[in-house]
Amino acid sequence: MPASPQRDRRHGGPRIHRPPSHRPRWPWLLLAPGLLWLLVLYLLPLLSLVPLSLSEPVSRFGLETVFRGRLANYQEVLQAYGPILLRSFAYASLATGLGVVLAYPLAWTIRFRGGRWQPLLMGLVVLPSLTSFLVRAIAWTSLLADQGPLLQLLRSLGLIAPLEALGVLHDGRLLNTASAVILGLTTNLLPFLVLPLVVAMQRIDPVLLEAADDLHAGALRRFTQVVWPLSRPGLAAGILLSLIPAAGDVVNPRFLGGPNNQMIANSIDNLLLVQLQAPRAAALTLVLMALISVAVLLQLRRGLDELPLP
Amino acid sequence: MAPFAHHEGRRTFLRRLAWGASGALLAPALLQACGRGPGGGGEGADKEGADKKGADKESGELVISSFPLYIDPSRPGAPGSVERFQRDTGIRLRYGEDVNDVRQFFARIRPALAAGQTLPQDLVVLTSWMATRLIQLGWVEPLPFDRIPNARNLIPSLRNPSWDPEQRFSLPWQSGIAGIAYNFKATGRELRSIDDLFDPALKGRVSALLEMRDTMGLLMLADGKDVSRPNWSDAQPSFDRLERARRDGQIRRFTGNDYQNDLLAGNLAACIGWSGDVAQLALEQPDLRFVVPESGGILWADVMLMPKGARHPNAAARWMNWVYDPPQAARIAAAVQYISPVEGVQQILAKDPATAALANNPLMFPDPAKQQRLHVFGPLSEAEEARWDERFARITQA
Repeated sequence: MPASPQRDRRHGGPRIHRPPSHRPRWPWLLLAPGLLWLLVLYLLPLLSLVPLSLSEPVSRFGLETVFRGRLANYQEVLQAYGPILLRSFAYASLATGLGVVLAYPLAWTIRFRGGRWQPLLMGLVVLPSLTSFLVRAIAWTSLLADQGPLLQLLRSLGLIAPLEALGVLHDGRLLNTASAVILGLTTNLLPFLVLPLVVAMQRIDPVLLEAADDLHAGALRRFTQVVWPLSRPGLAAGILLSLIPAAGDVVNPRFLGGPNNQMIANSIDNLLLVQLQAPRAAALTLVLMALISVAVLLQLRRGLDELPLP
Repeated sequence: MAPFAHHEGRRTFLRRLAWGASGALLAPALLQACGRGPGGGGEGADKEGADKKGADKESGELVISSFPLYIDPSRPGAPGSVERFQRDTGIRLRYGEDVNDVRQFFARIRPALAAGQTLPQDLVVLTSWMATRLIQLGWVEPLPFDRIPNARNLIPSLRNPSWDPEQRFSLPWQSGIAGIAYNFKATGRELRSIDDLFDPALKGRVSALLEMRDTMGLLMLADGKDVSRPNWSDAQPSFDRLERARRDGQIRRFTGNDYQNDLLAGNLAACIGWSGDVAQLALEQPDLRFVVPESGGILWADVMLMPKGARHPNAAARWMNWVYDPPQAARIAAAVQYISPVEGVQQILAKDPATAALANNPLMFPDPAKQQRLHVFGPLSEAEEARWDERFARITQA
């Protein structure tokens, strides 16, 4: 979208105060190492996947591939893995949605009730991320086990049947189900939602809430008319930060899912290491990258003017 | 010798395996780059080999890669096989337990072998289907059997496998059975056949192995098919059955070694598993049982192979000859509790009161009647294997 209304808004909108000619050039020098890093370690490897994705292996176990302009690779992986792509984005979206629901009260509490404990509470949100996400996934397998503490609690509360009716439990279990994968994803992405939300809420002057209170706004209206609109930039950033890694996650489905709950990264892993089909793995990787990029662009387009720009 | 002292090691192994799997998952490329284990010594050995080119005497050390905890370890006052071999022969041996996953190990050695380079390893212990692949690719040397007289001790049931019919390239390390492992308390009854795994009462509490030949082999045997000559069309009903069971949620997971944790944790009532593991786990959880299905079990073997261009064939031959000496083989068998490929091990274990119980373990020494029910999964051509792998992968991982 070269002439997007977004850009027009940015450049012609009221936010831009300085004409471009006054901008110094040295920020580009500061950016150079980062851009070089991205170019050499990210963009070039990614581009090298393009010819590979159109190639064919010369032999099954040899390393050489030969470029054939084989678009059929894309057709084949889309056909074979299309449903898993959909599943991956569905799981990632559900996890992000669940994360948002959990993150708002957390961020709210940290911001408005945290007081001097605020840094500590922020630290606690980040704390789980200090252990490897892999270790966490393996730990979840014990917590969610059929005879594990969580299910025993649910059993003693008589919640097995209702949760099964809701589709949260399958055959009376949690481990190796879609619910467990989404749960794992949610815990992984929660800090990425909470932190930007807290930062966004820092900019909400508590006086505004008091004013709303004075105007007899209930808790719900205070949230929908004050907190929500003012925190949306943080939310937009948080969703970006969590949706992307969640869609490409390989660990949670492997350890917490069953064979019907694997995600697209597992398919890529399998294509590359087990089926030894590097070209198809490359094609599927590029499809995933393209879909994620589209999602990011859509999100940016919607949320650009909400992001806290200088 | 303390055969049961090893169990602690097995538990540690399971834990280590989980972490190892994690590490491998995170950074296969990193692992490859580091070239840990015997690979680390590769450059040194390389240089020595080049220096003494043409020399009759082999210099440097013998390098072996195998699965973790697949040999008797050294203990205070009881040196393990690696130590005893070095003492007996004066050959320096670097024994690496760096084959965690056969497919990943293949991914690691593939670049060098495909490029015609020599590996640092003189011997690798791999599962027979991977041996088949390496033999078909011409990536292994024929073994110097003229210098391994003890190879005559190889038990008949493991001789001349269909994928190495003249027994030129491989010599078994240990062997075992793929069958049904189950928790009697969870199933509430004895299991006898593969059909029992598909019992709706066990829905969601059954797992199968990611090792295609074991899972598919058992299902095909249940269908009355011949697995020694696996045939694509013969396999279709089994593939379909597996696919349905996955879709319906009958099969909870497809696993590697990790089925053991699920069995112990009570997440599984029954699964396809391996004999030696279950023998070990049963000591911890007495309700666990292992049964060879009525329709037959899959007999697998992990074998020793000499990669192309191995630098120390003589030392490798001495090692193979040494481990095929029945007293040495008995010590290994007592530690790992799989089927020893060496004739005479049973008698040696029976003589020692400390190991006499193992001599009667039917999973280590299947009686003739049981052996008749064990089948070896035959070779698949490269094209066939690709087709099987793809279908199996789509069922198990998609």
